[in-house]
Amino acid sequence: MLGGHSRMLLSGFLLVLGPFIAASRAQQPATPTKVVQITGLTGVKNKTSGSLMVEGGNLRFAHGQTKVDVAATSVQDVVTGNDSQRLIHGTLGTLTMFAPYESGRFLSLFRTKLDTLTIQYRDTDGGLHGAVFTMPVGQAEVIKKELIAQGAHTSVPTQEGADSPSSKATSAKEQKP
Amino acid sequence: MKSLKIMFERVSVCALLVMMLLAGPVLRAQEKQPAKIKASSIKVTMIESDEIKLPAEFQISLYEDLIQQLQKKGGFQHVYRDGDRNAADAADLVILNSTVRGFKEGSERVRQVTTVAGATSISVHCAFTNKDGKLLLERDIKGNVRFLGGNLRATYDFAKKTAQVAHENFSPNAGT
Repeated sequence: MLGGHSRMLLSGFLLVLGPFIAASRAQQPATPTKVVQITGLTGVKNKTSGSLMVEGGNLRFAHGQTKVDVAATSVQDVVTGNDSQRLIHGTLGTLTMFAPYESGRFLSLFRTKLDTLTIQYRDTDGGLHGAVFTMPVGQAEVIKKELIAQGAHTSVPTQEGADSPSSKATSAKEQKP
Repeated sequence: MKSLKIMFERVSVCALLVMMLLAGPVLRAQEKQPAKIKASSIKVTMIESDEIKLPAEFQISLYEDLIQQLQKKGGFQHVYRDGDRNAADAADLVILNSTVRGFKEGSERVRQVTTVAGATSISVHCAFTNKDGKLLLERDIKGNVRFLGGNLRATYDFAKKTAQVAHENFSPNAGT
């Protein structure tokens, strides 16, 4: 199929372009993830839905005009977990409890799985803060990896990042439920 | 005229008895109330759970709910976070150290389906000390969620009870 000369040329071409491909992938703008801020962020009410993304060395939570940034380097611990919620939740979910023939109870059996992301960070005065987010399954680990790449620390290293120095800095203590 | 006087006396005696009966519990309640400890600010340290395996979201939720409830109902002028450098200069500072002694994670699904099962409960030992580490007050406080709400609501229940304990025992205007 390909001659020796062509194969050499292709290998050389890939070798030269390889680093640029990797760099362009790394610079891809982070896509916001739809999350619910359960508790912890200053200036944001508990159980506020918004979007979360890691950008420019910050973890950014946005809800309407409100934007809260947490510097990735100030994050002392990032832990992921899992949870679930009713398929029909919120006010409508509460109203189903009054539905006839105990159908509300029946509906409670249907639940969706969620990921939880828990962070601990310090403010400028050294005060310790914590924040808990819930998000669709599979997203928490992605955000955790991005945060670690930008300088955050974790007590539960990811499988890929187990060898990174930031992961080794803190003692390993599994906190997942 | 005489009967009227007798009636007036009887009514007076009855009124006095009623007043005594009502005043008794009030006075006793006032006697029972412990003297408040003077404290104008409080520092909340991170919840410890060395013996009990507590999920991270519960640990953070306990800490954040505790700070929110102490700010709302604790009666303190300042509520400092763990590690806040400004707390070093605070006068009449009380430090709240909390250690989780028990945790049972229930299930929201089981609670909603059965009503009687699936409760989540957290038991936390709270120790209020002064700057020098002298113990001022200690209590075991429980947080539960039995019917409505997710498992993390147990941390809100705990925080509300702890803020109430702090409000009952500490005051910026107390004598000493």
